[in-house]
Amino acid sequence: MKKKILLVEDEKSLCLLYEEELSREGYDITAVTDAEAALAQLAGTAFDLIITDIRMPGKNGIELITQIMGLRKDIPIIINSAYQSYKEDFMTWAADAYVVKSASLDELKAKIGQLLGA
Amino acid sequence: MIEKYSILSPEFERDAPRELMLLSIISQSFFQPFSLEDNLIVILTALTSGSGVGFNRAMLFLKHGDRIKGEMWLGPRSAEEAGLIWEVLSTPGIGYVEIVEHNRALVSKNEDTLSARLKGLVYAADDESALIPAYAACRKEILHVREASNEPLVDRRFLNLIGVEEFLCIPLLARDDVVGEIILDNAITRTPISPADIKLAGVCGLMAGNYIYSSTLHRKLLDVEKMAAMGEMAMFVTHQLRNPIAAIGGFTDQLLKPDVPEDRRNRNLTIIRDEIRRLDGIIYQMGHFLKVSLKEPVYFDPGPAIAAVLDSPEIQASARDHALNVKLEPCLPEIMCDPTSFGEVLRNLLANAFDATPAGGAVVVRGYRKGPGAYVLSVRDTGRGITNPDKEQLFKPFFTTKEKGMGLGLPFIKRIMDTCGGKIEVQSRVGKGAAFKLIFLSRERELTP
Repeated sequence: MKKKILLVEDEKSLCLLYEEELSREGYDITAVTDAEAALAQLAGTAFDLIITDIRMPGKNGIELITQIMGLRKDIPIIINSAYQSYKEDFMTWAADAYVVKSASLDELKAKIGQLLGA
Repeated sequence: MIEKYSILSPEFERDAPRELMLLSIISQSFFQPFSLEDNLIVILTALTSGSGVGFNRAMLFLKHGDRIKGEMWLGPRSAEEAGLIWEVLSTPGIGYVEIVEHNRALVSKNEDTLSARLKGLVYAADDESALIPAYAACRKEILHVREASNEPLVDRRFLNLIGVEEFLCIPLLARDDVVGEIILDNAITRTPISPADIKLAGVCGLMAGNYIYSSTLHRKLLDVEKMAAMGEMAMFVTHQLRNPIAAIGGFTDQLLKPDVPEDRRNRNLTIIRDEIRRLDGIIYQMGHFLKVSLKEPVYFDPGPAIAAVLDSPEIQASARDHALNVKLEPCLPEIMCDPTSFGEVLRNLLANAFDATPAGGAVVVRGYRKGPGAYVLSVRDTGRGITNPDKEQLFKPFFTTKEKGMGLGLPFIKRIMDTCGGKIEVQSRVGKGAAFKLIFLSRERELTP
């Protein structure tokens, strides 16, 4: 069975890139562009991992994590942000990994592999 | 009954006592948006613009670190020129701006003769055995020198330069420090310097000293603010660049894999090109923001600039799905701003208003006089409005409520308005819209018959 990953990313091109690259790695990707859509997905599907951006229109990634922690504590979360500085926000410590966006997807893929025991 | 008076009278009264006029001119320099150098020129003018008894020439030394250096020299080179200058200055209706313009020209004319030689004079600022002129600044004393050739304390190089036997040295004091010194003489009329002249010059020296001190402090403060803003900007840019770079990197990696189908290759290249354009846009905006505030504001007729912005394709396109309503008072006054920046300011405010207003909503531009010397240009939208917490953040660089905004538009406008001595005010009710008011210094245009 393919592992299910929920991707929350408002940058359309990055969304597409992650979707393609992670599908190629053998994951089942559901991509949404904001926190509300993410919560709606979480209500109906059992995901194995969540990857979320922080700065997004509407509810930001930190608020999303806070809400997810209240619903399901067992899903691993990876923060994927352009901002290094959010590491100082202690709410981001609740996530299992923090990957700063870069020109290479290697680090993100490695973290996913670790967290899903691949 | 209450009567109100303007703190700054825009014009100098011809009949006002000379002392009062002099102090009024110097005190106005504190409020003018001109550069330190321009205001210094006006201060020197004030000291030299007396008819008859007044000083003929004024020379300015400024303290730079531990040196006192000759800076500028203002005054006529002949009795004829003196008469001409005084005639210009006592023309009815002449104001601060005209004096600045007139004397800027005069100083540049002196540049090749007197001022150039003056700039060669440099003295140590903390020398107990300093010669005159530096002596006055070092000892913080006013000196009235007569028969200068017989006085061993007078520096010979200086004496050769000014070529008069009688002069006055006024140290420019501020708090407990000396910021410079002014030398005054009557080289043309040869009128003896009276005790009343000395007292008046002393008071002017105190005011001028405090003006120089406060404007130097202000400049330093702006530098510090600028550095802080630059640091913040550097951090912000790093983040702004990461999203497009992540996309470019990822899609390029895909292209490098073997057997990429033609349509996939084209799609990736299109995405990469778009992201590069986005990077370009970010860099353009940053450069634009950093360039701001380097230009001197001037008085100009804003009418053509307003029309150019309203007729621009960008604004016309936005106006197609909004109601754009423009009401300007006929016969606009001249406003103080850098004309190019003014167009950018208006364009930015209008773009914000259109962004905030849903299609079908109205954007209203109004222009009106607000008492003498102030002109208001307001841009009102009927959009979602601005919350109070957001209002406090509006003018900070990189604050934005827009999905794709950089948060540099309003800080840019604020910077322009600060540079030209104007103001920007915002009023808003959530759900009802927002109004931004630009308040410019203004003056009425002379009507040509």
